[in-house]
Parts: sequence; C-alpha cells; structure tokens
Amino acid sequence: MRNALHRFDVKASPYFYISPFFILFGLLGLFPLLYTGWVSLHDWDLLEDTHPFIGLENYAELVKDSRFWNALVNTVSIWVLSTVPQLILALLLAHVLNSRLRGETFWRTGLLLPNITSVVAVAIIFGQLFSRDYGIVNWLLGLFGAGHIDWDAGTATSHVAISVMVIWRWTGYNALIYLAAMQAVPDSLHEAATIDGASSLQRLLRITIPSIRPTIIFTVIISTIGGLQILAEPLLFGGGSFTGGNDRQFQTLALFLYENGFSLFKFGYASATAWLMFLLIAIVGAINFSIIRLIRRA
Amino acid sequence: MRLAQLRNRPLVYLTLMAFLFFSAFPLYYSVVVASLDNSALGSVPPRVIPGPHLVENIQRVFDTVPFGLAMANSLIVASVITFSQVLFSTLAGFAFAKLRFRGRPMLYVIVIITIMVPTQLGIIPLYMLMAKIQLIDSLYAVIAPNLVSAFGVFFMTQYLSAAVPTELLEAGRADGCTTLRLFWHVVLPIARPAAAVLGMLTFLNAWNDFFWPLVVLTPENPTVQISLSTIASGYITDYALTLTGTALATMPLIIVFALLGKHVISGIMQGAIKG
Amino acid sequence: MRNLHRLITAMAAVTLVAGLAACGSGGGDKGAGGKVKLVIGTFGEFGYDDLYKEYMAANPNIEITARVTKAEDHHKNIAAHLATGQGSADIEALEEGWIGQFKSNPDKFNNLLDLGANEIKSQWPEWKWKLSVARNGAQIGLGTDVGGLAMCYRSDLFAKAGLPTNRDEVSKLWPTWDAYIATGKKYAAAKVPDSAFFDGPTVMYRAVLGQSDIGLYDTNDNVVVETNPAVRGAFNKTIEALNAGLSAKIEAWSPDWNAGFQKGRFATIACPSWMMAYIQEQAKDASGKWDIAKIPGGTGNWGGSYLTIPKQSKHPKEAFALAKWLTSPDQQAKVFRKAGNFPSTSTLYSSPVITDFVNPYFSNAPVGKIFSESVATMKAQYLGPKAGDINTAIQNGLTRVEQGKQGPDDAWKQAVEEVKKIV
Repeated sequence: MRNALHRFDVKASPYFYISPFFILFGLLGLFPLLYTGWVSLHDWDLLEDTHPFIGLENYAELVKDSRFWNALVNTVSIWVLSTVPQLILALLLAHVLNSRLRGETFWRTGLLLPNITSVVAVAIIFGQLFSRDYGIVNWLLGLFGAGHIDWDAGTATSHVAISVMVIWRWTGYNALIYLAAMQAVPDSLHEAATIDGASSLQRLLRITIPSIRPTIIFTVIISTIGGLQILAEPLLFGGGSFTGGNDRQFQTLALFLYENGFSLFKFGYASATAWLMFLLIAIVGAINFSIIRLIRRA
Repeated sequence: MRLAQLRNRPLVYLTLMAFLFFSAFPLYYSVVVASLDNSALGSVPPRVIPGPHLVENIQRVFDTVPFGLAMANSLIVASVITFSQVLFSTLAGFAFAKLRFRGRPMLYVIVIITIMVPTQLGIIPLYMLMAKIQLIDSLYAVIAPNLVSAFGVFFMTQYLSAAVPTELLEAGRADGCTTLRLFWHVVLPIARPAAAVLGMLTFLNAWNDFFWPLVVLTPENPTVQISLSTIASGYITDYALTLTGTALATMPLIIVFALLGKHVISGIMQGAIKG
Repeated sequence: MRNLHRLITAMAAVTLVAGLAACGSGGGDKGAGGKVKLVIGTFGEFGYDDLYKEYMAANPNIEITARVTKAEDHHKNIAAHLATGQGSADIEALEEGWIGQFKSNPDKFNNLLDLGANEIKSQWPEWKWKLSVARNGAQIGLGTDVGGLAMCYRSDLFAKAGLPTNRDEVSKLWPTWDAYIATGKKYAAAKVPDSAFFDGPTVMYRAVLGQSDIGLYDTNDNVVVETNPAVRGAFNKTIEALNAGLSAKIEAWSPDWNAGFQKGRFATIACPSWMMAYIQEQAKDASGKWDIAKIPGGTGNWGGSYLTIPKQSKHPKEAFALAKWLTSPDQQAKVFRKAGNFPSTSTLYSSPVITDFVNPYFSNAPVGKIFSESVATMKAQYLGPKAGDINTAIQNGLTRVEQGKQGPDDAWKQAVEEVKKIV
C-alpha cells in the first residue's frame, strides 16, 4: 500500500505543483487571449453593437499598413538602442562592484532606485530634461558648443531619448543580476589571472563573461521580450500622444496597438496587431533559444 | 569572495558616484518640484533646491483624494499578489526544475510562450469576465488576474535547478519522504533568497500597475496609482501636486526595500541565478 | 528552518485576512435606508462638490457619489464600460472632444428628450445644444461649461513692436485671420528679441475651422475633409502664418510651452477662458503685462463638456433631475464664481455675474463680456464620430511642415491618407 502511494506521489504530485499556475492562467490569462484572437477575425468597433465576421481581413490589411511596419521598425530600433548599451553598462557596473569596496550595500541599493521611481514621475522629469528650449540636456550640450536638439521631433533623436529612459530604468536591475552570478565565479581563477599580469578588463572579458554566460542569456531573453512590448515610455515621452509624434517617429508596436484599441476604438484591428506582435516575439524568442542551444553545445 | 583591489580606486568611486547621481536624480528632482509649485517645472535655470511647500502640498494631496485608503488598498493588493505569485511560482518552479513528469518540456515551453503575450488588449475581455462574476469595483478584480506569473515560474525554475542539489532530494526520497515534505523541508529554505528577490520585484510591479486597476476600480475605492491619476486630472496638470503624490506613493516601496533589501541583496549574492 | 515555517504560516494567515478585507465598496445602487444612490463621473475640476452637498440637503432621498479621473482615462473607461454593458456611472461627463465619438452610438445613452430636456432647450446657444445631438435626433447630453475663445496678448511686447496696446484697438487690428497674419508680419519686422508672434499652429487651425458652417463631417456622418474647401482653407491659412515665420514652434502643454509663458516667447496665444488660470500660474511675475482682445473672426470655442446618462443607469429620472439642476443657470453661475468654469447657459450672459466680471491679471479685461460674446453667436458645426482623431492627423501635418519635414502639399496628402485609415 505504501509503495503504491509512494509511486502515486512521485508520478502525480508534480502535476499538482504546476496546476495552480496552469489553472489560474487558463481561466484568467488564456480566455482573454483566445477572445482577442476571436475578435481579430471581426470588424469590431468598441462602441458598436454589431460585429461582422471578416475572417483574416484585418491581418491582410495590417500587413499592407505602412503604419504597422513603421511601428515595427521603431520598436526594433528602440530595442537595439536600449538593450545593448544597457546590458553592457550593467556588465561593467557589476564588474566594478565585484571587488572590495566601501559602503557596498549603499551602492547596491542605489542600483534599484530607478525601478522604484514612479513611471509618472519619470515621464514628467524626462520630459523636462529633453525639452528643446529649456531642457537640462540641451543646456549641457550648449556648454559644449552643440546646438539645441529638438528631441521629440526627429526619429533618431526621439529613439535615443526614449532609450535613455529605458536604460536608466533597467541597468541597475540587470547589474544586480550579473553581480550575483559573478560572485559564483571562483576567486582562484581571477587570482591566477592577476598573477599572470591580466588587467581588470581582460579578466572581465576572458574569465567573467564566459562563466556567467547563462545569466547573460537569461537577461537578454527577458530584456528582449520586454523591449519588444515597450509602451509606457513612448506614450509618456510624447506627452500622451497616441501617434508617437507628429510623424509617428517613435510609435512602437504596443503604442500602435493602444492607439487602435483605445483611441480609434478599432478593437478588431488592434487585436490582430496584438497577435502579430505575439508572433513576432515568439519568432525572436525561438531564435534566441536556437542560439542558446548552439552556444551550449560549443 | 571579494576580489583584490581594483587599481584605480578614485576613478572607481567617481564612476559609482556618477551612476548613483543619475539613478537618484529623478526621484530627488520630483521631491524638489513637490516642495515648490506648479511653475517650478518650467523654470529656467531649473530649480534644484527644495522649497517650502512640501507639507502644504502633502496636505492638499490628502484633501483631494482618499490617499490613506488608496495606500491601504495598494498594500493589500500588492501583498496578496506577491504572496500568491511567489508561492505558486516556487511550487511550479520546483516541479519544473527537479521533478520528472510526462509533458514537462512541452509545458515549460508553454510557460515561456506565456511571457511573450502582450497583455494590453486583454483588458476588454478580462473586464467582461470580471463583470460576469460580479467582481467589478472590488479589489478581487485587481488581484485575480495577477495571482500567477509566467515570469515568476521561469525565474524560480532557473534558480532552483541550479541551487537545489539533486543528491539531497534523492537522499530524502530514499529516506521515504513524500514530495511535499521534500518541498517544505529542503526546497523552501534554499529558495528563500530567490523568493525574496521575486517578492520584491512582484511587489514593485503590483504597486506601480496602473492600466488594469484604472479600468476596473473607481476613484472611490482606489489604489495609489488611481489616486495619482485623479490628482493629475484636469485641463491643466498640477505638477507639484502630482509629484507630491508620486513621492508619497514611493515611500512604502522604499520602506519595504529597506526592510527586505538586505535579504534581497544577500540572496542575490548567494550566486542565485545560474540558469 | 522553524522560523521560516512560522513566517510562512503567519504570512498565509495575514494574506487570508487581508484577502477577506478586500471586499470592495461595490457599485450597489441602494444606499443606506432606501436612498437612491447616484454616481456621477467627471474629470478635472467641475466645481460641483458644494453643489452635491446642496442638492443632497434639498433632496434627502438622494445620495451622490462623485468619481473624478484624468480626462483621457475617464473617457477610455467609459468606452470600456459601455462596450461591456457594465460599470458606468449614472451620470457621465463627456468632453466636447469625445462627444462626437460617443454620440455616434446613441442607443448606449438615454435620449434626454424623452426625459424632458426639450423644456430647457432654450437655456443654451444653438451650437452648444446641437453638438450633443446624435444623427437620429436623440439628445444625449446637457451642456455644462464652454471655453469660448479670445486672443490673449502681451501688451508690453506689442508696445516694443510699435503696435497698439489698448484692447479695443487691438481687437480692431484683426477682424479677420488675414489681418491677424498681417499684424504678425509687422510684429516680426520689429524684431522683438527672442519672441515670436504666436506659439504654434494647432489652435489657429482649430479656431479657423470652427468658424465655418461645415467642418470635417457633413450631417450624414460622411467625412468631407477632401471635398470641403473650408478644411483645406483652414490648413492653408495656418501654413501661411507658419511660412511668414510667425510661430515660436512650441508644442502646446510641453515644458517648453510653460517656460514660454514665463519668458514671453510668444506675444499672442488664442485662449479659451480656462487658459487664463494657467497663464496666471505659469507666469506669476507677468501680471498686468497680459491683456485680452477679441479673436479674429469673432467667434470660437475650445473645450466644454456635457452631462450624459448612459442607458446602464438604474435611475434615469433621478439622474436627469440632478443633471438638469447642475446645468441650470443658477448653478452654473455658482460654479463660475467658485471654479471659473465659463457657463454655457446663454441666459446668464446678460446678468451682472458675467457682464461685470473682470480679470486683474489681464489688465482688468472684461473677460465675462469677451468670452460670452465669442460663444453667443457661434455657428453650429456638426461634429462627427472621429473628428478628434482627424484633427490630430491634420495637426500633425501642420507641425511636420513647421518643423521643415515636409512641404505643405505632401503634408496634406499624408494627413488625408491617415484620415482614410482612421475612419
């Protein structure tokens, strides 16, 4: 009897452990997801009562819509501009913190301050910083002789500004994660290298980074998924403008979705956008994973 | 585990100070504006020294919205969500990391795919669902969709698969422990640092969430973010008042972080994530 | 180990208790003791708080709960609540920027004509009444406030440029928009340092468009942006002003705009009544330097709201009684005195509360008279469902031209393309 119970426990209990997640997600996560899939097949205006079925027409129209591709390009551009420097900075920062320093807890607490700051406050303050005529950034640039940049008017400039906001917010967080992983690297490796005359930078590149590769991959995956869905920063940078600037220069996919759903009330079209976004993220995710497998095998 | 001293110490500290300055500046500046008045934001050169109006603005915040109630609601919502997410993520993380069962790889992939779902549009059908079960305008409506998190499961799985020694579990099994006992006595203590990290991040996100609560709650029974929205309402935004509100709303986070911070940092320090 | 377990058990207990305490206040419609509970949703500062108390004292069976949210969120939530058939308030305020969209689905709202709105129709100017009438003739809203439109100007900067400063003379300078542009050219020629004639193209375009009989839509809800010469005309007129170099190129509501008030970066700005408070707050030291003259074209309006009663309300009659009371001339006068929201009831315009109202900051300009005049004779222009978004597309085109990204023809073409995708 005990044996049977034991076997049941080993075989069945895992399902009990994962079931809270799947049940709750199934009820509250899956239903909205499938529903938006259903909605995407209709001409669905949020305020109207009739919603004619139109099959894949929303998707066809979306693929032909230059605004969609524009949003896609913007999203990828901002993602690259914000993710790459952010992770590099985080690595450098973690490396610096990974040594004997005074007031360690103090520095490390400072790393998470940007995450704690409310998004509303961030929007207001960065809006002021990047103001064309009286912003602090332009004032600083002026000291070096550079001209006044109209940050939200240009494509490149607005992407840079938004990326700065994202980098500001997430670098410390990623640095903490890297720092943790770095602590697991044996000191002996570093000591041997120092004795051999390796500089700090060489140690970082040759020893630390290879050792914490799985962690780096984790952060890349999470940053990728988050970066492709970025909404709050472009929305607030434009002062609440749904179009992401007068030429849609910084409208990301998520903002385009939001504009269609909650400003133009085109629920069907917005749902189709959501599903295409999901497809895109899944593809990128799959690419990420293939790269991981290749690296693991190497 | 501290390395030998880096060679250029003054430069190191300078860099760190610069970084800390940039990290803290927006928070500091928002407090400055909160202590001045509405025209401060447009002032040139920008005002960086706090002014005298902080107490008065704090008073106005409490006069304008039921801020105390909002804080209490946010605290309840964030706490319940945090506890639930951490618990269920640890349970599922344990299973995915250390237990063997049929369908494990596929189910894990589903979890990861779930992270990729853009949630904005889900607001409408989710609202319909909540309306059907009569939960609109109650805190349950805010809590329910956030009881589990795919990211949490992913996070705990990564951590536990490296941090929990399989031999320990096998030894426990050999002694005849049930899975539950293994979980309670072996896994949970090891999971503690990562659970603290996840808890901190979850609490932060739940506290700052404003899209969903804004749709499903009302300003009579608000969370902190809804009250901030009310404060910021009007043809013309009263920036000083808004930023006072955000500064007040950030206070509990700082307190929670100060309390849990040591655990979080030390937890991460224990070579947490190895994936 | 044991401590950890104790901690977890304790947390579980706390969470359970907290969870139980999470019972919300609920949206019930019967207050204590059989009272009728009315929920009214507004945004910004409607100035109704004292009025609610007054009404409840006079009507003890009514309990009023007020909901205030930021304007964008307020309207987004209304859309969500209407779409799902649940959760809206008994009275929902709708701003004129959104009313076109909501009234295109009139069956979600009570037709106030059925509740007796016809009796009070004469309170309002015709355009204000018509703006909330749906295509099928249903009246879905009662007008609350209006913005009106005048031209605020810096008399000290005008003096530097050799222009007249007395407001009657200034009003004579620009009876038409062409004259306004001509005045602007004179101002630019005087080269007052660091100062342009106006802030940006948006308000001018809206004001010019608002002065024509037909705007973006015809009365059958067809978009006539391409065929109606008035739309292209408003666009072109604004381009003309931009090409003359009269714009400070500052985006409204941005931090630069706020600083612009303080630094005198623009000498004129089209201002509705509610902008006065804003200018006063942003440019505290400039009291007495600002004055107000008439808007070119004489009429205009920017802003203003309506009280609507969604069909979801369980107490339409009581809600109507409250809405009718809140929008009656007496109450609008009270709100005006307290919060400064300009009344929409034209019957008030001849009463001393309006005619005697002056603003000392603006050199004692008789703002009561000025704004009521701009509103009283305005034309009723039909507003279709997506008017707000269409205007955004056209305004984006104007700023693209202003920033040198495109020529006027290309900008117009792109705007028209956008409009086609919006509807």
